[in-house]
Amino acid sequence: MVAAQDALLAQMRRGTLQYCVLSLLADEERYGFDLVRGLAEMDGMVTSEGTIYPLLSRLRRDGLVESTWQESPSGPPRRYYRLTDSGRSALEAFRLEWRRFRDAVDNFVERKASK
Amino acid sequence: MSTSADKLVEDYLDRLEGELADFPSARRRELVQEISEHIAEARAGFETESEADVRNLLERMGDPADIAAEAREVPALIRADAPAGERRRSSALDVAALILLLVGGVVFPVIGWLIGVVLLWISDSWSTNEKLVGTFVIPGGLALPVYLSLAGAYTESCGGSPGQPLTCVGEPSGAMRSLGVVIVLALFVLPLVTTAFLARRRSRALALA
Repeated sequence: MVAAQDALLAQMRRGTLQYCVLSLLADEERYGFDLVRGLAEMDGMVTSEGTIYPLLSRLRRDGLVESTWQESPSGPPRRYYRLTDSGRSALEAFRLEWRRFRDAVDNFVERKASK
Repeated sequence: MSTSADKLVEDYLDRLEGELADFPSARRRELVQEISEHIAEARAGFETESEADVRNLLERMGDPADIAAEAREVPALIRADAPAGERRRSSALDVAALILLLVGGVVFPVIGWLIGVVLLWISDSWSTNEKLVGTFVIPGGLALPVYLSLAGAYTESCGGSPGQPLTCVGEPSGAMRSLGVVIVLALFVLPLVTTAFLARRRSRALALA
C-alpha cells in the first residue's frame, strides 16, 4: 500500500513538475541552476535535481520554452530559458484544469477530513 | 577543492555518461555538460567544501540512472504539438544517408557513397559507434560486391574461335571459385545488415529524442 502510494505521488509529481517549471518561467527568464534552486525550495517537489535538465531539454524540443546563451559573471556562459507563446498557453490551459481537478478532489478528501 | 571530492564528481559524471550510452552523442554531451556545470556552480557556492558536502550534493542530483530514465521519458501529453518541421527534415536526410551508403557507390562510384558518409556523420540520430559501423561495414556499400561480381563474370568468360581450342583467361580453380562466391555473398549481405541495423537504431534514437 505504501509502495503504491509512493508510486502515485511520484506520478503526480512527474505529471505536474513541467508546469511548475513553466510557472517559474512565467515572469522572468532563468538559467538551469537557478530554476532547480527555485523548485527545490518547495518541499517534496523535486527528488532528483538532475532530472530537471532532461525535462528542460524536452520542453525546449517541444517548443514550450526557448533558450538563449548569456555571459555569466563567473564561469562559462549560461543557457537562459523563457516561455514561448505555446508554453504560455499550455500553462494557462493547465491552470484551469488544475483548479478544477484540485477543487473536485478537495471536495471529497477535505470534507471527510474536517468532519 | 579536495581531490577526493573531485574524484566523486568525476565518478558520478562517468556513471551518467555510461547510463546515456545509447543516446545520440550530441544529446549525451549536452546533458552531461549541463549536469557538470550545475555541480560546478553548486560547489563554487560552498564556503569550505567538505567531502560530505559533495556527497550530499550528488545525492540531491539523483541517481544517474534516474536522470537517464527521465531523458528517455516521452510524455504523450505535450508531444502532439511538437514542432514537426525539423524532425521531418532530418528524417529525409537520414533516409538519404542510408540509401546512399548502400547503393550510392553503385550509381555514382565513390562520390555517391562519400556523400552518404557525410550525411551519416552530420546526423544526430546515431551514436559515434553506430556511425563507425555504418562507415566501415562495408566501405562503398554494395558497390564493392557489385563490381566484383561484374569483374568475376567478365574474367570467367571464355573465348574461342572455330578451329581453335577453347581458351579461358584467368579461370580460377573450383575451390578458389567457391571461396570467391562466399566472399562476394558476404560482401552483399554485410552492407544490407548494416543498413537494417542503422535503420533500427535510428527509430530507437527517435523514440529517445
